[in-house]
Amino acid sequence: MATAARSTFQAQPRILWGRLTLHLVLIVGAFIMLLPFLWMVSTSLKTQTDVMRQYPPRLIPETFMISNFSTALTSLPFDRFYLNSLIVASSVTILQLFVSSLAAFAFARVRFKGRTLLFYLYLTGLMIPFPVLLVPNFIIVRQLGWFNTYWALIVPTSFGVVSTFLLRQYYRGLPMDYDEAARMDGASSLRIWWNIILPNSKPALAALAIFIFLGSWNDFLWPLVVTNSEAMRTLPVGLSTFQGQYLVRWELLMAATVVALVPVLIIYFFAQNWIIRGLSVGSGLTG
Amino acid sequence: MEKAALSSPPPPTLMTPPLRSFRQKIAFRLGMGVWRADQQFEGYLFLLPSLIGFLLFVLAPILISLALSFHEWDLLTPPEYVGAANYTELFTNDPVFGAVLKNTFWYTLLIVPLQLVLGFVLAVALNTGLRALRWYRMLYFMPVIASIVAAAMVFRFLFNQQSGIIAAGVWQTKELLLGLPFVQASPQLLDSVQGLAPPDFLNAPGQGFLPGWAIISVTLFTVWKNVGFTMVVYMAALQAVPDPLYDAAKVDGASGWQRLRYVTIPLVSPTTFFLLVVQMLGAFQLFAEPFVMVASSQNSVALASESLVMYIYRNAFGFLRMGKAAAISWILFAIVFVVTIVQTLLQRRWVHYQVD
Amino acid sequence: MQKKFFLLCMVLVALMAFGTAAVAQDDVTLLWGMWGDPAEIATHQLVADAYMAANPNVTIELWSQPWGEYFTKIDTLFVAGDATVIPDVFFMTPIQDRAAAGVLQDLTALIEESGLDLEDYWPGALESTSYEGVVYGFPRDIGIEVLYYNKDHFDAASLDYPTDEWTWVELRAAAEALTVKEASGRISRYGFAMEGGKYFDFVGANGGLILDDMFNPTQCTLSQPEAVEAFEFFAGMMNDEIAWRSANLGQAGGDLSVFLGEQASMFIQNASRVPALNAAGVNYDVAAVPTAPGGTRQAGIANGAAWVMSSVTDTPDAAWDFMQFLQSPEGGQAIYFATGEAFPPTRSGAESPVFMNPERGPENKQAWIVGAESANINGFGWFPEYNELNGTLINPVLDTIWAGEAQAADVLPGVCESVDAYLVEHGYGA
Repeated sequence: MATAARSTFQAQPRILWGRLTLHLVLIVGAFIMLLPFLWMVSTSLKTQTDVMRQYPPRLIPETFMISNFSTALTSLPFDRFYLNSLIVASSVTILQLFVSSLAAFAFARVRFKGRTLLFYLYLTGLMIPFPVLLVPNFIIVRQLGWFNTYWALIVPTSFGVVSTFLLRQYYRGLPMDYDEAARMDGASSLRIWWNIILPNSKPALAALAIFIFLGSWNDFLWPLVVTNSEAMRTLPVGLSTFQGQYLVRWELLMAATVVALVPVLIIYFFAQNWIIRGLSVGSGLTG
Repeated sequence: MEKAALSSPPPPTLMTPPLRSFRQKIAFRLGMGVWRADQQFEGYLFLLPSLIGFLLFVLAPILISLALSFHEWDLLTPPEYVGAANYTELFTNDPVFGAVLKNTFWYTLLIVPLQLVLGFVLAVALNTGLRALRWYRMLYFMPVIASIVAAAMVFRFLFNQQSGIIAAGVWQTKELLLGLPFVQASPQLLDSVQGLAPPDFLNAPGQGFLPGWAIISVTLFTVWKNVGFTMVVYMAALQAVPDPLYDAAKVDGASGWQRLRYVTIPLVSPTTFFLLVVQMLGAFQLFAEPFVMVASSQNSVALASESLVMYIYRNAFGFLRMGKAAAISWILFAIVFVVTIVQTLLQRRWVHYQVD
Repeated sequence: MQKKFFLLCMVLVALMAFGTAAVAQDDVTLLWGMWGDPAEIATHQLVADAYMAANPNVTIELWSQPWGEYFTKIDTLFVAGDATVIPDVFFMTPIQDRAAAGVLQDLTALIEESGLDLEDYWPGALESTSYEGVVYGFPRDIGIEVLYYNKDHFDAASLDYPTDEWTWVELRAAAEALTVKEASGRISRYGFAMEGGKYFDFVGANGGLILDDMFNPTQCTLSQPEAVEAFEFFAGMMNDEIAWRSANLGQAGGDLSVFLGEQASMFIQNASRVPALNAAGVNYDVAAVPTAPGGTRQAGIANGAAWVMSSVTDTPDAAWDFMQFLQSPEGGQAIYFATGEAFPPTRSGAESPVFMNPERGPENKQAWIVGAESANINGFGWFPEYNELNGTLINPVLDTIWAGEAQAADVLPGVCESVDAYLVEHGYGA
C-alpha cells in the first residue's frame, strides 16, 4: 500500500548530532516506558524483607528469589485466574469473530429488506458508551441466572458491534467477482461466506482476533462486576482483589503479574506486524 | 449500493439457474427473482446471532437503563418510580458529584493533548528510517498491551508518598542538596531545601478547581499506558503521506520544521481527529486507572481522583443505588455526545481530507 | 436344628427391627449453610466432622456459596419455601432485615429450655444478632482489637512495653519516642499505624458517637466536643508525623505489611494478624487498646457474622444442639480459634485453653479480654442507608482530616449539617 515515506530529516553529516540526540531522547523515553516493567520484575525477585525495608529502593535485587514465582503460583490461586482468563478470552475471540463475520457479511453482501435500517441501529449502538450498559447488563445477567458463571463473562462481550462494523468495511472492499460467480452456480450464501469471504479476510480476522483476545484478557470492569468468587475471577480482577488482603506480599503479587504478562508479550512479539497493521486499517485511515 | 466490479460477468437475463429449493421455486413463481428470496432469508439468518446479542445486550440495556434512571432500586426491594429525582439530586444535592465532574474534566483535558502530542512527536522521530525502529516501536507499545491492573499496581507502588521510589528520589535529592556547601551557606536556600518533601502523589486533591497531585499521577499513568497506541497510529498515517508533497515543499525551500507544520500536520489531521475522538471517549470513561492506582475501599469516595465511571460503579455496587448509577451514566452519555458533536462540527475547520 | 435356626432368625430380625427403629427415630440430617473460600469451607468441614463423630446419628451437609451469591440464594430458597432444601443453621449478617421478614427462628424458647447463659457473651455481642429485643443468632467471633507492638523496637529505645492500663498519653509518648526521622526529614519508621476507618476506637473511648443512635439515628454527633477531641488526637499524631497517614498506609500494603517491614512499631487491629506474625517469627506482643484519658476504652466493634436458625426447620432441637456445639469451647470453637486469628464471642471461649494456648503467640492474650469487657457495637450504622451516608458524606471529609488538609474542628460541623439533612430526607430525622 504505502511505500516507505521519505523522512522529513535527511541524513547529512551535520545532522549526525541530531541523530545522536534523537537516539538519546528515544532511549530515555524507552527507559521510562520500561521502568515500571523493570520494577515489576525486580520486585518479583526480591525477598519479602527487601521489598518492605529497602531504602533507598534498588532496582537490582540483592538475592534473586526465583522461588517467588513458584510460591506465587501455588500459594495464591493464580492458576485458576489464568485458566479463567484463558477460557474467557479464547471463547470471546472465537465467538466474536464468528458472529461478527456472519453479521458483517450479511450487511455487506446480502441484500435483504431492512438492511440499512438495522445497520444504522447498530451504529447508534456503537455510540453508546459502555458505562451506560454496565448496570442493565448486570441486571440482565443476574435475571438469567448467569451471575458468577462463565456465561456472564463470555456471552455479553461476544457481540462485537465494533468488529461487525470493521469487518463490514473490509468486506465492502473485497471484489464481488467470486461472489457473483458462485451465486450463478447456485451456491448458497453460507457457502460463499465459508469458502470465499472467510479465506479472503484472513489478515483482517487475524488482526481482529488479536485485539479481541487482548481486550478480553485485559478486561477489568465487566469481570469485576459480574464475578464474586475466587473460582470465577479472571486475571485482572483476581490480581486486584488479592491486593485487598491484609498482607500484601508485593513480591509474590509482582511475580504473578510478570507471569500474567508473559503470554501477552509472546503474542505481541510474534504478532507485532499484524497488530500494527490492524491498527492502521482499523483506525479508518484508508477512508 | 455497491457497484459490481467492471470485470464481473453481466447478470443473466434470459437464462435462469437450475431451480434448487422449494423456497426458490415459490419466489420465482412470485416473480421476486430467484436470488432475492434466498437472500432475504439468509440475510436474517446470518444476522441472527449478532442481532440477538445486540438486542439483548445493547438495545434492551439502553432502554432498561433509561427507565432505571427514573427509579430508585437497591436490588432487594422492588424498584420505585421517582421521576427525575436522581438527576436533580446529582446536580443539587450530591456532595461528591462536583468533585467527580472536576476530576473527569481534568483527566480529559490533561490526558488527551499529552497523548496526542507525545505520540505524534514519537511517530515523527521514529519515522526517520532508523534501523532500530522495530525495537523502539516494540518498547513504546509494550505498556499498551500490558494488563492495566498489573501496571496500575506497580505505579501505585512507585508513587506511594512514603515508600515509593519517586518519593525516595525526592528525599535523596534533598539529602544531596543539603550536603552541598553553597546550600548550607545560604540560610534562604537552606530553608527552602529543608521544606522539600514528596507530595502525596496518590491522594492530594487540588485547591478549588485546580487539579491536584492525584489527578496528575493518574494522568501520568494513563499517558504512559496509551502513548504507544497514539504513536503507532500516527506512524501509519505518516507513512501514507505521499513523498511528492515533501519534495515539492523542499523545492520551495521549506525547512524541516516548516515541512512538518505545513505538510505533515495537515495531512495527518484526519488521524488526529480520529484519535482525538477516540481518546476523549477513553478519558471520559476512565475507570481502572484511578480505581486500582488509588485503591480506595468500595464504599468510600476518593474525592481527589474519583472518575465518572468509578462513581457509577460505587453507586451501583457500593451503595446499591441502581437508578442513580443509571442516571449518572446518561449524564456521561450526554457529555460525550455533545463533545463529539462539537468536535465533528469543528473538524471542517482544521481537518484536511485528501482529495484523491 | 431347623427350630434353632428359625429362633436365631427371629432374634436377628427382632434385633434389627429394634435397632433400625432406634436408629430411624434419631437419624437426623442437618443442612448447614455458609459462605467462604475453599480454605474456609475446609475448616467448616472439620467442625462438621467433629460433630458427626460425637453424634453418629446426625449427618451434617454443608451448603456453601461464594459470598456474593450467598444472600440472594438464601432469599430465593426461603421464597420457594421448600424446607427440605433450606439450611437449618446458616451464617448471616446483618440479621435485622431477615428477622423482620420472619425467616429466622426466634431463639428465646430454646435459650430458656437449654438454660444457656447469655451473660457468657461479651457485652454488645448479642445486640447485633438481636432484633426488637429477641435473640436470633450467635456471632461466631467478634472483631475486638488490640495494640500490637514490636518488642525489639521498644528494647532498642529503652522503653517500657505497653500495658493494659495505657492511656492515650502513653501511646502518644511511645509513638514519639519510637519514630525515626532522618536528617533529610524523611520518616523511616513511624511509631504508630492505624487505618483511618478505625477512628471510632478513639471517638468511642472518649465518649463520643457518630450518630446519636446507630439503629435509628436522628442526629449526627461527630461535631460534639468528645468526638472532636478524639479526632484531634488521632489526626494530631499523623500531622506530627508520628503515625502513618491513613491513605499512605493502605497504599503501602496495610498495617501488617508496614509492621513486618519495620516501618511501624505499633498498630491497632483485630486478631486476624496473629497467624502471619507468628509465622514470620516477629518478636511482638499485644496490649489492650489504650483508654481515653477519662478511662473508657473502645476496642473495636463487638460484632461478627452470626449462626442463625431457619424459621422453617423441622428439626429445631437438633439444629439447636448443633448451634450450641458450634459455640462451645470444646466443640466448634476448638477448631475455629486454634490458629488465634479470631476472637471468641463468649467468655468461656476466650478463657478456654484453645484461645489461651500458651504455646501460640502472642503472650498477652488477656488484652483481648480486657478490650471485650467494654465492648459495644456503636461504630457501625445498622440501617440500610448507612453505606451511602458514610461513603459520600462522612468518609470523604474524614479523609481530608487524615491527610492533614483540614482540621477536625473546622470541618466536622459541616459534616454534621449534611448528615442531618440526609437523615431528614430519608425519614430518620428528629
